[in-house]
Order: sequence, then structure tokens, then C-alpha cells
Amino acid sequence: MGEYWYKRENFEDQIDKFFNESTDPAIVLDYTIGVRDFVTSGNAAAQIKLTLKKLGVDPAILRRTAIAVYEAEINMTAHAQGGELKCNVFPDCVHIVCHDLGPGIKDIEQSMVPGYSTAEDLVREMGFGAGLGLPNIKKNTDLLHIISGEGERTYLEIIIYFE
Amino acid sequence: MNEKKYFHAIKLVNENCTACTKCVRVCPTEALRVRDDKVEMDSTRCIDCGNCVKACEYNAIQTYADKLDIIEKFKYKVAIISSSYAGQFSESIGYATAKKALLHIGFDEVAQEAMVTDMMSVMIQDYLKKNKDLRPIISSNCPAVVRLIQVRFTSLLPHLLRIEAPMSILAMYYRDMVCKQKNLSEDEVGVFLIVPCVSQVTAVHQPEGTYKNLQDGAISIREVYGKVMDKVSDAEEDETEIELYPNGLNWAISGMQADEIGNEEFHTMAVNGIHNVIDVLTKIEGDQLEYFDYIVMNSCINGCVGGVLNIENPFVATSRIKRLLQKSEHKYFEDELFYKMYQNGELDVIPLEGRPIMALDKDIKSALMKMQKIGEIIKLLPNLDCSACGSPTCAALAEDIVAGKASLDDCVVRSRKIKKETSGKQKAGK
Repeated sequence: MGEYWYKRENFEDQIDKFFNESTDPAIVLDYTIGVRDFVTSGNAAAQIKLTLKKLGVDPAILRRTAIAVYEAEINMTAHAQGGELKCNVFPDCVHIVCHDLGPGIKDIEQSMVPGYSTAEDLVREMGFGAGLGLPNIKKNTDLLHIISGEGERTYLEIIIYFE
Repeated sequence: MNEKKYFHAIKLVNENCTACTKCVRVCPTEALRVRDDKVEMDSTRCIDCGNCVKACEYNAIQTYADKLDIIEKFKYKVAIISSSYAGQFSESIGYATAKKALLHIGFDEVAQEAMVTDMMSVMIQDYLKKNKDLRPIISSNCPAVVRLIQVRFTSLLPHLLRIEAPMSILAMYYRDMVCKQKNLSEDEVGVFLIVPCVSQVTAVHQPEGTYKNLQDGAISIREVYGKVMDKVSDAEEDETEIELYPNGLNWAISGMQADEIGNEEFHTMAVNGIHNVIDVLTKIEGDQLEYFDYIVMNSCINGCVGGVLNIENPFVATSRIKRLLQKSEHKYFEDELFYKMYQNGELDVIPLEGRPIMALDKDIKSALMKMQKIGEIIKLLPNLDCSACGSPTCAALAEDIVAGKASLDDCVVRSRKIKKETSGKQKAGK
């Protein structure tokens, strides 16, 4: 099993506090992501985005969230065997946890390099699998935490702060 | 929340309203409600797309556009016609006659949107080159789409093309030219658009992003159509030579502008119909379409030919315009002045501000509390989205209840269920 942590500069204290205090979220949204389900994948991202719009979250932050969640959701459909996506909304941030059904990421560090992809042809033909998913998630989040290994279920969580 | 008053080219006529809720269900921004058996509009939400006008079968939602007689206030009257005008007339009448007839109903000069579309394409390609770091660029032709982005997709405002629309550019050009040629002052020249939809009327009366009001009125194609038909024989006898610029007419049809601008360098796409537009904007917001350079969006089916102030069905109008293109030779209208205006920044549009309507509260914490309450209320509702309560969906009713604008009793389905249950209990009790 490998583990990867990314904390955006200047957000380290806030993030550590988040994990140490573990308060209950104000709103929880749960989604089941189907395997190779390209018809409904994207729905979770769309609904989370709508929720943030209703909260009046800044448009730039809304876009970062939309991009990161969409990538995470597509990853679960295209590269994994589907899984669960949970969105926890707090007054100051959104925390999203994706727990897929495998087959896991062999080398997380390598998968963070833009352009690196293990996608099969079918997935590429559908316009996915360009190897930009994880780097794109990282670019748009304040926290990215991944636990995975070959043949394992991947655990991915992200946090985006509203300010 | 917003104190500003918004002009809308849509009028609610309460005495005709049957409270059927058809309009409530088609509104893309959930601006309409039926309360106390009458339709109400939240004017901060309405984007003037005209879908409610099309949906209403009882003439309870009417359109507003300027009457033709307002042109009489001016010494010299210029009409600028939308390209969809050409699609309203059968081949037996012909576009040349239909255009010339406008000179017989009171206008001194007739210009057409189609004159400048060639030059617009060049300017847009230049704009795409200059703004390479932002993709995709979204066309700003359709005022309903622009307003939709302002209220529902504020994060995409920087993507909007910031060049004036063809009919606005022509208005500037003609006012200037006529004043010089006829030695008239600016107030003596009236410039009017002949428009196919309500959003164009709104854009004239309450422009977004322009530095000044460019036109003196927006008259609908419907308003002039009958009067033009009366003057067809006069126009046929009139031997004045007029130019037609048929090629530019294609901008009235969705897809044509995108094809014109697209090439090996620029990947373009056209979208029409408000729900498709919303779908594509959602994808752009998720960065799913960043490989497109330019996306043309029209709120109406088939483009401007689908506008609610046209006479003809959008498919009939499309086919007529296409045939007109096939049968005629293209004339170029070139004037260096347009490129100079573009280079000097005279055609620039001010970056638009958002006016988000989605937020439940100004403060995130209060909005979260409201959202929790809404979540509790939704559990009590049937999730049929039948609109019988007067709100478009069960979720919208829950929001209305939390906002103090409706009550749980408004849900007809729930009330009936409760009534059944209580009468069932009473029977069982006997």
C-alpha cells in the first residue's frame, strides 16, 4: 500500500485542524458510482456544484470544485470498478471522499505526473484516459490524500476551502 | 436581495391566467410561480428567453416590443433587420421585396445584420488568437444566453466574447454615417432593430456591457410583418436598387456561425435550445470542453429563427434561408471603418458582472441552515414534481417554504394523502 499527501501551501494548519477536530458536516451527499457508467457519471459533480451554488460559494472556488469532483468521479467510472463518493459540506470547506472498488494504483507518485495513463483503449476512445486526471485534481484542491496499492481499493479524499 | 429593477419584455396578464403552471415548468431559471391562482415572476431571475410565452396557451404571458409608430419621433429612420426576417417570407414574395417594403412602411434606410457577419468572423478569429489562455470562448450574440450566464453560471463570465453584437455595431455605424451624410444631429436619427425575440427587446431597453444605449427601439418582426405584407405590391413596383448580402443571413441559423469561424486552427461548436445550452455550460464549468476554441450558443431551437417574435416555424424559416443562400451570389460589405473601430477598442464590451440568483442566503452559514431545513421538508414531499403547488419542482417548493413564500399545505398530493389517511382512520375507528 502506498500513501500520498498534498497540502497546499498556507493551508497546512487548517487541514491538520480539520483532521484533528473532526466536526460533523452540515450537509452530507452520498453517491454510488457505477462501473463504466458513462451515462450517469458526472451527476454527482453536477449536484455537488448545484449545492455549492445554493450556498453562494465564490464562482472561482465553485469551478475548482466542479473540475476536481468531475475528475474524481470519472476516475471511478473509467479506471476503477466504480465505488462510493461522499461529499461533506462544512461552513468553510467541502470535503469529498471517494472509495472505489479497485484495482488500485500501482505507483501513486507516477500517476501524479501529467500525461501518465494506464487507461485501456475503450476508455481512451471515449475521450477519457489522457493521464491528466490526478494532476488536474491536485491543481484544483487544497488537500489531496490518496491511499492505494496494486489490487487494492483506492481511497481518495480532497478538501477545497471556500476562502 | 437585489434592489435593482430589471426590464423584461414579458408581460403577465393575470385575467387570462388559468393557473395551469405550464410556464412554471418550462422556465430555465425557476423565475415563475403560480400563487393564489395567478402567475408571478421574480424579475431578478428572468432571462427573457421567451419559453414561457411559447408554453402559455391562454395568452396570459404576452410579449412587449416597441410599436412601429415610435419611429415618427425621428427625422431620419433607420431599420436594422435581424437575419431571421428573411426566413419569414415565402419565395413568391422574396427577400428583396420584403426588405424593400420596409422603406414603404416608414423607414428611410434599411440595413441588415447580415452585412457585417463576414467582418465579425474575422474579428472573432482575431479575438480567439489574442485570448489563447481562455477556452472555450462563448459567443455573446444571444442576450438570453448572456443573462443565463450572469444568473446561473457566473464563473463563466470571463469566457464570454467581448465584442459588440452585429446589430449594435451597425447601429453605431449608421447613426454616425447618416448624421454626416444628411447633416443631422444624433437625436434626429432614429435607429431601430427589427427583432425575432424578447431577449433582443430587453437588450435594447436594458443593455448589458455596452457603454451607452445604441438603439432607439426594438420592433418585433410580428409587428412589421402585416404592414410589410400590405406593401408587397408597392415594393414590387419600386425599382430602387438594394443590396441583399445573402451570405450573412446564415447567422440566424444555429451552426452556421460556428462553421464559418471553425477551421484547422479553431475547433468550434454550435448549441441551440435553452436546455442544451444549460447542459453544455455545465460541462464547460467542469472543464470538460476546454479543447473547444469557440462555442456559439442560442437559447432558441435552430437559433434566432426560433425566436418567439417570428411569424414562421423555425424549420420552415431555416430551410428558406438556406435556399436563399444556395440561389444567390454573395456580396461582400467591406468598410475599413469597422476594423478601425475594432482596433481602437470601440467595439469592446465592458466585462459583465454576475447577478447570481442561486444562493439561499448572503452568508454561507445561514445558507447551510436553510439547506438543512429544505432537506427536511423535501422528505415530506412526494417528489412527483407535478407543479400543482405552483412551484416548478418539489425541491423548489421546499425552498419557497423555507423562504416564507409558500407552505406545506400548498402540496396538493400531500394534503390528499393526509385526508385519505385521516378518513381511513375514522372509518377504522367506527
